[in-house]
Amino acid sequence: MAQRGASAAREAMAVPGLTAADRAAVNPLDRGYALLGMVLIAPTVLIFCAVIVYPLVSAIYLSLFSIFTPTLSGSFVGFRNYAELANSPEFWRSLLNNLIWTVLTLTLQVVLGIAAALMLNQAMVFRSLARSLILFPYFVSTVVAVLVWRWLFNDLYGVLNHLMMWAGILDMPLDWLGAMPNAMVSVVLVGAWKYFPFVVIAVLARLQTIPETLYEAATIDGAGAWGRFTDVTLPQLRDVLVVVVLLRAIWDFKEFDLIYLLTGGGPIIGTQTLPLMVYKEAFGLNEMGRASAVAVAMMLVMLVFMLVYFRVLRARGEEPR
Amino acid sequence: MSDRNMTVLGRRTLLGGTAALGLGTPMLARAQAQTTIRWWSPQTAPAQREAYNFQIRAFEQANPGVRVVFEATSDEGYPAQMAAAFASQQVPSVVTHLPSFALATYWQNGLLEPMNDVIQAVGPQNYYEGANRIYEITPGQYCGTGIGNSAANMLWLRADLMQAAGISAPPRTWDQLRDACRRMQGRGVFGAPLPYGRNSMTSLIFICFVHGAGGQIFTPDLQVAVDSDAFRNALEFYKSMRELCPPGATGYSWGESLTAFVSGATATGIYTGRVLANVAAQNPRIADHISCHRYPTISADIAHWTFNDFPSVMIPKVAPNMDLAKRFAAHLFQPEGYIRQLHAAPGHVLPVLKTISAMPQYQDNAIINKYRAMVDLMSESAAAGHNLGWETPRHKPNTRAGAIIASHALSEAVQRYVINNEPMAQVVSVTAQRLEQLMRAS
Repeated sequence: MAQRGASAAREAMAVPGLTAADRAAVNPLDRGYALLGMVLIAPTVLIFCAVIVYPLVSAIYLSLFSIFTPTLSGSFVGFRNYAELANSPEFWRSLLNNLIWTVLTLTLQVVLGIAAALMLNQAMVFRSLARSLILFPYFVSTVVAVLVWRWLFNDLYGVLNHLMMWAGILDMPLDWLGAMPNAMVSVVLVGAWKYFPFVVIAVLARLQTIPETLYEAATIDGAGAWGRFTDVTLPQLRDVLVVVVLLRAIWDFKEFDLIYLLTGGGPIIGTQTLPLMVYKEAFGLNEMGRASAVAVAMMLVMLVFMLVYFRVLRARGEEPR
Repeated sequence: MSDRNMTVLGRRTLLGGTAALGLGTPMLARAQAQTTIRWWSPQTAPAQREAYNFQIRAFEQANPGVRVVFEATSDEGYPAQMAAAFASQQVPSVVTHLPSFALATYWQNGLLEPMNDVIQAVGPQNYYEGANRIYEITPGQYCGTGIGNSAANMLWLRADLMQAAGISAPPRTWDQLRDACRRMQGRGVFGAPLPYGRNSMTSLIFICFVHGAGGQIFTPDLQVAVDSDAFRNALEFYKSMRELCPPGATGYSWGESLTAFVSGATATGIYTGRVLANVAAQNPRIADHISCHRYPTISADIAHWTFNDFPSVMIPKVAPNMDLAKRFAAHLFQPEGYIRQLHAAPGHVLPVLKTISAMPQYQDNAIINKYRAMVDLMSESAAAGHNLGWETPRHKPNTRAGAIIASHALSEAVQRYVINNEPMAQVVSVTAQRLEQLMRAS
């Protein structure tokens, strides 16, 4: 019997066009491998479900209810939360703020990051020390960084106002965080300062792998410093910049602590982004359902970004990574 | 290393591990047997923390096997922290110093344990008359009990600056106040540290101005009442004071406003009696020049209105070890610890127990002795004080007051009119709509 079974399995495997599942159906060894494969992949699937699928489904589910946060009790309201959001000027203003913050701070981070990386790639005195120090803002806790910046921005004792008044640029202290557009400008500047070292790390690592021969060839062809930068350095950095921009765009879009601690979203809602609105709805107004609706809307906006990103990559003939 | 050595090491490791387990098990069992009480408060100045530690030690000594852990919250952060705690059922055992209107919201949603037992343990006869009235949302049941009184909108003045400006008497009306601020402003000193931030202080202080104009936020039966001349006058005056406040006042909350006066950056202040301790510790140079008064109103015909947030003690309904939590809440009123707590910020949190006020130990404090008349004035003002949860004796308790403050609807009204220069009619209309919406959400 066993011999006949083994023989049938061999015959089945020899038939072209059979899938692994077909083969597993007739071959006990393949069945074992398939089972082992499922067992091995199960933890990953379970963790994925626990940390991605469950929160996502929960958020969507909660967004269909009106829920009082402290008791988590409420009633089903269908899509009313979404309809209210669509008619809420606060939501659209927060979304706009979110986009302004993300685009401006990301642009500054990339520009500063590339500039600093180029500088640190040159032979210079104390290069190692400079490379270490430039990473400092990225490693310092956001709370500490914000406290320091709030102190610098302080109207009565802040160094910034003091220096600008001493230099004759200002007559009176400037309200850096309490008036628009100063508050948004300040938040963007602090965000760029805090996160540009991430760009430096990534770009510097790539710069060190660009072959020197490319620069030599460009120089022989008559390229100046700017020409070498645009024709050699930038194309070589493109891959790493795509990843950096993608990651930082996601992280900046959902940034909460830095903006909340710096301005609390004010003045009025001048610097309120969607994550701050989620927090306000969930814990300030105790409307967990509406907060979930804002969070789902945020996710949809991010999804649109991702789709645009993939489309751009495909248009360039590159595969999304 | 040979296999033999590895085996020996393995045995030793095993033996050591067994011994550690043997020794550790009783400790683990003891740790499990220990009961923990979690105490939250937004009042966390270092001197207050010292007083709390004394109270904690005394309770732990009297109750072996009980450990009390203090966890700080903040005036701006407690709504979020409490909401998360209630939602996750990971609540603290006892929460102190939250404003009474916050408790009203929690009580309305069935989240608090009645405090009748604690009040009985402290002794109802020991409280000042009516001290717990604001907590009686449901007749016969108290959602909390007072741990102190506060007079948050006292006007603080600098006698030296007044004299230099030729001002002989404290201002009684808004016009006089504005004039005094204008005359004292200069040489790096601003007139006043009024808050214009999007925060609870701006909301709460602005409510004082609305009442100072003879108005109210809600009618006694809790209909929105901001479409009034008083509300408009309050906004107008608040705007006119902007040029007399530091540029950064658009972000001021309690801490910044207090520091501005204590450091000497402003000629007047608006705060509780915490000013006294902070001046003594941080800027004794002005200690002999400060005085406190009831905050001016729009005219002498309008009575003063003092904001008292009625700092409270509350116990969440799902708090573990309820009996112990109630015992600890009552323990906080034991004279020795309670007086230390009050002395940690003299004049800031005023006693709610008349038995304590009368005690020589309470009176025996350098700051209270030095500024006795001011402390008495604050006590008197606070005793007659109100807040958004209970605007006047004619008002019904407003159980949505906490949500209204947390929504920043009132501080945003200030910002819209003062900072954004939006038309008055639009600001009033938007504010009224938001308040109605928040009241409907109950």
